[in-house]
Amino acid sequence: MGMASVNTASEGMQLCIFDLRRGQQEGQELDKILFFFPADLPFATQLSVIGLSEGLITFTRIFSPDAACEVIEAERHSHVFFEAESDIWMVMVVEKSKESKAACQVDALRKVLKEVHSLFVLFHGTMRSMLEKETSGGLIRSHLYPFITDYLSDFLIGKKLQLPSFHDCLMERGTVQMLTVGREAAIEVQSLVKVLECSAGTTSCYSLVLFQDLLVSTTLSPDDTISLFTYAVLRWFRGNDGFLASDIWGADNGSQTSVTPIVYLQLTEERMYLCAYQYKRLTIILLVPVSSILNGEQGLSLVKQQVLENVCVLSVPASLKMLRVEEKLSKGWGGENAYHVSGYRYLLVDDERVSRASPPAKVMTLAKDSLLAMSKLREEVNLEKRAKCSTSEVNSDKELEICVRAKNGAWVIARTSRGKELYMVLEKASETLLYASDAVEKFSNRYCSGVFSLD
Amino acid sequence: MKERNTTSTLKRILVNCSSQAKEYGGCVAKKVPEVERDMCLKEFLALKNCMQNVCLTSVFCYIKNFSMSANASSSQLTVGLSGSGGLSHAYVQYPPLKCNLPGSRGLYYDDANKLLLSPTSDQVFSWKTVPFSPHVAATADYINEGPVLSIRYSLDAKSIAVHRSNQEIQFFQRETRETFTHMCKSESESILGFFWTDCPVCDLVVVKTSGLDLLTVSFTSKSVNLVETKKLSVNWYVYTHGSRLVLLASGMQCKTLTGFQLSSVGIVRLPRFEMVMAKSDANSKPVLAAEDVFIITVYGRIYCLQIDRVAMQLHSYRFYRDAVVQQGSLPMFSSKISVSVVDNVLLVHQVDARVSILYDIFEDSRAPISAPLPLLLRGLPQSHTGRPVNVGESLDRNSSNHELMFYGDDWTFLVPDLICDVASKSVWKIHLDLEVISSSSSEVPSNLEFLQRRKLEASKTKQLCLAITRAFILERRPVTMVAKAIDVLVSSYSHSVKTCSNLKETKVDEASASVGTNASNSSRSAKDESRVGVGDKSFNLSASDSDDQSREIDSRDLQKSGKENLLGAESSRGEVQSSSLHTQQLGLGNNQLNANNSERQDSQLTSPAISPDEMYSCVFVPVGEEIVGDPSYLVAIIVEFLRSTNSEKIKVRPNIYVFTIQLLVRYERFAELSLLIINKVLEPSKEVAMQLLESGHQNPQMRKLALDMLRQLSLHHDYVTLLVQDGCYLEALRYARKHKVTSVRPSLFLEAALASKDSQHLAAVLRFFSDFIAGFRNTPEYQDYFRILNEMNTGLAV
Repeated sequence: MGMASVNTASEGMQLCIFDLRRGQQEGQELDKILFFFPADLPFATQLSVIGLSEGLITFTRIFSPDAACEVIEAERHSHVFFEAESDIWMVMVVEKSKESKAACQVDALRKVLKEVHSLFVLFHGTMRSMLEKETSGGLIRSHLYPFITDYLSDFLIGKKLQLPSFHDCLMERGTVQMLTVGREAAIEVQSLVKVLECSAGTTSCYSLVLFQDLLVSTTLSPDDTISLFTYAVLRWFRGNDGFLASDIWGADNGSQTSVTPIVYLQLTEERMYLCAYQYKRLTIILLVPVSSILNGEQGLSLVKQQVLENVCVLSVPASLKMLRVEEKLSKGWGGENAYHVSGYRYLLVDDERVSRASPPAKVMTLAKDSLLAMSKLREEVNLEKRAKCSTSEVNSDKELEICVRAKNGAWVIARTSRGKELYMVLEKASETLLYASDAVEKFSNRYCSGVFSLD
Repeated sequence: MKERNTTSTLKRILVNCSSQAKEYGGCVAKKVPEVERDMCLKEFLALKNCMQNVCLTSVFCYIKNFSMSANASSSQLTVGLSGSGGLSHAYVQYPPLKCNLPGSRGLYYDDANKLLLSPTSDQVFSWKTVPFSPHVAATADYINEGPVLSIRYSLDAKSIAVHRSNQEIQFFQRETRETFTHMCKSESESILGFFWTDCPVCDLVVVKTSGLDLLTVSFTSKSVNLVETKKLSVNWYVYTHGSRLVLLASGMQCKTLTGFQLSSVGIVRLPRFEMVMAKSDANSKPVLAAEDVFIITVYGRIYCLQIDRVAMQLHSYRFYRDAVVQQGSLPMFSSKISVSVVDNVLLVHQVDARVSILYDIFEDSRAPISAPLPLLLRGLPQSHTGRPVNVGESLDRNSSNHELMFYGDDWTFLVPDLICDVASKSVWKIHLDLEVISSSSSEVPSNLEFLQRRKLEASKTKQLCLAITRAFILERRPVTMVAKAIDVLVSSYSHSVKTCSNLKETKVDEASASVGTNASNSSRSAKDESRVGVGDKSFNLSASDSDDQSREIDSRDLQKSGKENLLGAESSRGEVQSSSLHTQQLGLGNNQLNANNSERQDSQLTSPAISPDEMYSCVFVPVGEEIVGDPSYLVAIIVEFLRSTNSEKIKVRPNIYVFTIQLLVRYERFAELSLLIINKVLEPSKEVAMQLLESGHQNPQMRKLALDMLRQLSLHHDYVTLLVQDGCYLEALRYARKHKVTSVRPSLFLEAALASKDSQHLAAVLRFFSDFIAGFRNTPEYQDYFRILNEMNTGLAV
C-alpha cells in the first residue's frame, strides 16, 4: 500500500490530528497527538506544530468562539485547520510552491481533511466515541495510522504527494457525480432498488447504485451518500461470493476470510453491513442493519443469498432486472466524455453536494494562467460565500456573478444562484464581455434549465 | 385486511383443509396431461372428508356429496342450499324462466335469435333469453297446425320457418301472416334441418342428407330460390349461430366431418377432417353421434369438442380458415357429457357424476380452473333454505315437479349458457361465481389475468380484482410478485383503451383484408400444425396479442349486429361484414375463423379493466391507510405501477405522485424523494410542485425542487410569488420582466424590498414598476413607497 514511500517522500506536507481535551498537563503533551504525518518526524517537531496550532486556535477563539481559525498563511507554508469533531482538530501544513504563491486551494485542502474524516467515521464511528471507549488513545491511534496513510497514498504520484492544487480548480471534492438518466431508465433503476431493499427482508435497508463511477440512485442521507460514494469510487475488490469485498482500512491484513465491512450512518449512528455487488458497469451497494441480522456473518450470507436470487443471478427471471438496468444505462450513457461541452471548461455544483464538471482530460488542455485565475476566483467566491453564511442567516444563497479576464485573455466566470454554482473558463471567447456572458447564458439554458440565466 | 366481510364457506374450507387441498391439487397438477379416473383418489378422499367435516360445523352449508366416480346414485344427491353463499363456482339463480303453457307441443331453442319457442296447435310462443329474465313475457305468433320438428325465426325476426317433415319447411310472415311451403325436390333425400344465415348470398341454409342447399326466401313471390348447392352425403349435422359454423358428419362411423362457415363475410369451406375415436374390443367401429359433438365459441375462437366414449376423453379441435388442429383432450368422468360456455369459460358438465368442471382455454393449459363441483341453486325462497333439501323430498313439497332435479335426464344444455329442464318446462341460466373461483386460486397474477378476461358483470369483477390486489399488497407479498399482478392489471387496461380507440380506424380497409391473407395464412397454419405435432406446449396456438385484439373488436361489433337482429331492423351488412373482416386482418397470421359472440349484456361497463385513477383511489390510498410503519414497501409497489404504466404508455394523473410524496415525506425519506423528482419518475406538474412546497417546511431541499419545477413548467406567476416570498425579489423582478409576469402585485415586491431595509433596492423596485407598469406612478402604492423611500434616505442623510 506504499506507506513506506509516503513516509520518505513527504517533505512537502504535514498532517496532524489532536484532541484539545487531552494532554493538558505539563509532561503529558504527547497524549494529545492522535495522528501525525509523517510519523517519523521527531516528537519535538510534532509537538511544535501542534503547539503552534493549538495556540492559534485558543487565541482566535477569544474573538470567534464558534468558528476559530481556518487558515494561516505564512511566508512559506499554509496551515489549514479543520475542527473535525468538537475539540478534535485536523491541521494540514502545506509548503507553498514557488511558482504559484497564493494559489494553493485552501478550501480544497480543507475538503481533503473533511473527506478523510468522514470516511474514517463511516467505518469506525466518531473519533470521540472511540476515545471514550478506550481512553488511553492506543486504539484510535492504531486505527488512524493505517487508515490515513492508506488514504494519502492515493495522492502519491511517483514518490511525491500531489495534493489538490490550482490544477484541480474545476472539480469539487466531497460531492457526488450523478448519471443523467431518462424517466424510463430511472423507473427501472428504482424498481430494481426497491426489489433489492425489500428482498433483504428487513424494513430499513438502504442502497446506493452506481454506474461506472457515477451515482444513479441513493436512499441514504446526503452526507452518508457522499461518504459512501467517495469510498465506492476509490476502491473495491471482488469477493468470492459474487459480492465485492474491500480491504477495509484498518482491518487485519493477515486474515484471509473476507469480512463484510460494517459502516456507521452519520445521523442515526446505526451500524450497517455493507454489501456490494457488481454486474458489468453497474454497482449496487446495499446497507443492511447489523441489528436486524441475528448471527452475524452467517445470517448475512443468507441475506446475500436472497439478494442474489432476487436480482443478481441471471437464471432467475427477476434478476433480469439488473441486466436490463445495466443495458439501459449503458445505452443511454455517453461514455467518458459524456458531459463534455465543447468550447467550455466548467464546474457545476448543486447545493455543495452534487457536482458535474468537464472531464479532467479536457480541463488539462487549459493554459496554466486560466487555471490559476480560476483557482483564485474560487477562493474569492468561497470567501464571499462564507462571509454571507456568517452574516445573513436567511438568504444564504444569494446571487453572485463574477467575470474575470485572465492574463492570457481567457474569461474566467463564476455564477451562483440559489445554492447552485457555476464556474467556467472560456479560452476561445472573443474580446467582449458580452460574448462571454452570452456563452454562459447559452450554457445555462441548455444544460442547467436556465438556472443561471440572468434575463 | 378487511377484504370481505362475509366469510364464504369456501374460504373457511380452504383455511381448514388447506393442506389436503394442496396435496390433492399438487397430485392433479402433476398428472394433468394424462387425467384418468380415480387418479389421486387417496388425496381426494382426504380432502372430501375434511370439507365435509368443516361444513357440518356450519349451519347452512351442506356440501353435496360430490364424487368423481360416475355411479353416484341420484337418491344420494342433495343440493346445497345456502342462500346466496353456497360452495360452487357456477350456479343457477332461482326462479327459472317458466315456459309452461297449456297445449304446448314441446320447447325449441332458436340460438340465432336467442329465443325459446313453444308451439301450440296454431300459435308459437317465444321468450327472449337475452337479457335473461324469469319474468319475461311470451310473444305469440300464429302458425298453421301441423307437426313441428324445429322452428326458427329469421334473423330480421320478420318471418318464421317451421321444419314440418323430412320433405317440408313452411314459412310464415309474422306481420301479414302470409305463408308458403318449401318442399324437397327429390324423394331420395330428406331434410335434416335448417338455419337462417347472414351470409351475403343467401338467407336460409337447408341441411339435407345430400348436402347443403343455400336459399333465398321471398315472400313477394312466395317462394324460395336455390342459390347454390353443396353436394355431400350427410348423416347428421351440428350448427351454432354463434360460430356460424355447420359441421356435416359423413362416413360409416360418422367421424368424417366437413365444415362450412357461413358468415356475413361469405362462405368458407373447411378442409375435411377425421375425428379421433378409440376402438374398444367389443366394437371396432364405434359410430359418432351428433350429441357427441359440440361447437363452442371461446374468446372469439371456434373449437369443436368431441366425446370419445371408449377413451373417456373429450377431444378438442380448433378451427382455422384452412386447417383444423387437434388441441388435446379433457378428461371425462361421466358417460354423459354436456358443455356450456359462460363468459368465455368452458364448463364441462359431467352429468352422471353431477359435477361441472371449468376450463379457461385462453391459457396454455388444460388444467381445470377449479375443483369439480356441482352447479348450485341460489335464491330459493326462504321456506326451502331452512335446511338442506334432498331432491327426493323436494319433489313432494314443491308444487312444480322436478324443479330441483339437477343434472337429471330432463336437462338439456342449450348453447351457450342455458339449461332447459324439459319436464318442468323451465329454463335456467348458468352464472359463474367469480369470487369462489378466484378464492380457490393461490396464484394471484394468473387469477387476475383470468378475471380481467371476464366481460359479464364487469363492474363486479372489477371490484373483485381491486379487493384481491389490495389484499395481496397488504399481505406484503414479494414486490416482484405484486409487480406481476400489477402488470396484468395495467396491460389489461391498456388493452381495453386501445381497442376502444382502434375500433373506428380498423373499419376502413376491407378490400385489403379479404385479399392476400391466404398465402401467409397457409404457411402459418402449416407451421402451427407442425408445432402441434411437437408437443402439448403449443396447445394454445393463437394466444397472441393480435389475436386478442381481434377478439375484442369482433365481439363488440357483433354485439351491435346482434342487437340489430333482435330489433328486427334492416341489418346493416357493411357494419357486420367489416367486423368479421377485421378479425382476419388483425388476427395477423392466425387465421382462425371468427366467431360471433354476442353474449354481452352489461351496457355500462364492458370490461373489468382498472384505470390508473381507480388503482390510486381503490388500491393505493386504502392500502396506505392500513399499512403501518415504513412506507417503503408501498412506495416500491407504486414504483412498479409506474414502471408498468410507463411501459404501456399510459398517462398517470398527478394524484398518485402527490400521494407518493406524502408517503415519503411522512417518513422523511427526502433523499429518495428528491431522486424521484429529479429523474422525473414523479412527473412534474403543478400539483406535485405544490405538494413539494408543503413539504418544504420540513426540508428546504424540497422547496428548491418545487421552485425548479414551477420554473420548468413555466408557471410564472407561482414561481415569481414564491421567489418574492423567499426574499429573492430582485431575481423575481428580472424573471417577471423576462416572462412578462404582470399578475403578481407590485406591493409584494415592495414589501420584500422594504423588509430588507435596503433603500437602494427599494428605489430599484419602485423604479422598475414605474417603467414596467403603465400608470404605476399614479397609484397610491407608488406614492406610499415613494414617501417611505424619501424618509429612509433623509434618515440616512441625517
